[in-house]
Amino acid sequence: MHSDTDPKAALKALRHQRRESILRATAAVKTQRKTLTAIKERLAMGAATVPEIAEHTGMPTDRVLWFLATMKKYGQIVEDGKDGGYYRYTMASTHA
Amino acid sequence: MESGTVKRFDALVVGGGIAGLQSALDLADQGFRVAIVEKDASIGGKMIRLSKVFPTLDCASCITTPKMAAAAHHANITLFTYCDLKSLDRNGDEFSAKVVQRPRYVDADKCIGCRQCEYNCPVLVADAEQGGFCATKAIAIPFSNAIPQLAILDTDHCMLCGKCASVCPTGAIDYFQQPQPFVIEAGTAILTTGFDLSPMTDKPQYGRGTIPNAIDALQMERLLAPHGPYNRVLRPSDGMEPDNIAYIQCAGSRDKSMGVSYCSRVCCMYAIKQAMLLSGALPLADITIYYMDIRAFGKGYEQFYQNAKAMGINFVKAKVAYIEAGDNGNVVLHYEDQLGGGITTAEHDLTVLSMGMLPSWNPAGICPVSIGSDHFINTIRPKIAPTLTDVEGVFTAGAGAGPKDIVDTITEAGSAATEAANYLTARSRKTAAA
Repeated sequence: MHSDTDPKAALKALRHQRRESILRATAAVKTQRKTLTAIKERLAMGAATVPEIAEHTGMPTDRVLWFLATMKKYGQIVEDGKDGGYYRYTMASTHA
Repeated sequence: MESGTVKRFDALVVGGGIAGLQSALDLADQGFRVAIVEKDASIGGKMIRLSKVFPTLDCASCITTPKMAAAAHHANITLFTYCDLKSLDRNGDEFSAKVVQRPRYVDADKCIGCRQCEYNCPVLVADAEQGGFCATKAIAIPFSNAIPQLAILDTDHCMLCGKCASVCPTGAIDYFQQPQPFVIEAGTAILTTGFDLSPMTDKPQYGRGTIPNAIDALQMERLLAPHGPYNRVLRPSDGMEPDNIAYIQCAGSRDKSMGVSYCSRVCCMYAIKQAMLLSGALPLADITIYYMDIRAFGKGYEQFYQNAKAMGINFVKAKVAYIEAGDNGNVVLHYEDQLGGGITTAEHDLTVLSMGMLPSWNPAGICPVSIGSDHFINTIRPKIAPTLTDVEGVFTAGAGAGPKDIVDTITEAGSAATEAANYLTARSRKTAAA
């Protein structure tokens, strides 16, 4: 870090310099949070497959799977049996 | 560019994939001091991203990780990852390489790889290391067995919220890091710059990458890997377990319309390997390989092909003309059956395009070695000394010099190390005699 400048002022200047990418990232995070909340709401009702979650949230199935794979990677959900060709997913805390 | 510090080694290896690691280890074991310059954040190249290897079906990670660790811990090897080679020129008897260390925005000396920054970062970003099938974070360790285990902050997706800095136990986050130029001087250089898959976007007949459930072979490697995005094989469009999978061979090779007229040599075997792995993962699935010719040229490869046929994998001699999206996420293939079936269609619920190999590096403007008409690094004695380039003291090995499999790559890497060692020894003798 720049030791010869005030860290807060330096960070403020950096935020100004990167304002466009920060705005994009902030908007993306807001959308991601809404999506994650919608998926968690559906999973709070019980284990569900990708098409079931997509129907509940109104999201495309590929996006639902992308978020579920991410939630699984970070330990938030686990698989909970199968329904035909689809796996069911449930919140990790519910499963435990 | 400011030159920054100068670091002196006996040999410079450009590229830290399996070829570069093998060359570096062979030289280092003989007592030469070696620098590896790698553009990615981790060494290991394409091989560490594979699930298993043909024809033995050994775990790719189990073979590659020990070599990565051996290189990382070798007293005579220094790794420079996440670095760009800007120039490599002869400077008298030496070679001088200008290199730029790209900023990680993480202090490499302080980061302990604990991933607290990654776990607490709120920004999800498509994870290219997992074929884009799931997300990583805006600050993350590249993948679980990456070497070095250092986080990287992606400034394009960072909100600068400060969360990572607040949770880092060692104070390693540095939002103000800048590119650091430095110079490597070495007596010889080995170029092991590897390959990229030919992009799906280059093939309009195969949908330019827009057809759901038409994926490339490296994406399938991730689906087959035990630590892949789904931890099992699922269709990316809806999470369904596929039970009718197709492989389209020569999807990115032997195709002048794509500028790739050559055979990429590995696609037949990697498709057969993946088909066999899929048979194990999805025992009830039908797997069909659409091929022009099967090129099973290596030791044990023909037997591997015969084993695949015996396992029930369906081989259809046909060139797929075009594909399109079908109902329910399926992919419809249109092809001419070359064994008399005429023009026909087939529907599969997952299709893998066996894309070919392109060189991942062009030396133009960086290093005076020439490239061939196929754009791979030119070798001047391909029969009797296939690692010699047209610059004395610069050698090459692996897929950067032309499409080849892992067996040939490792053999060639050993040969390049021997050529480089001989060159260094001869140079020392000449200097001593003078």
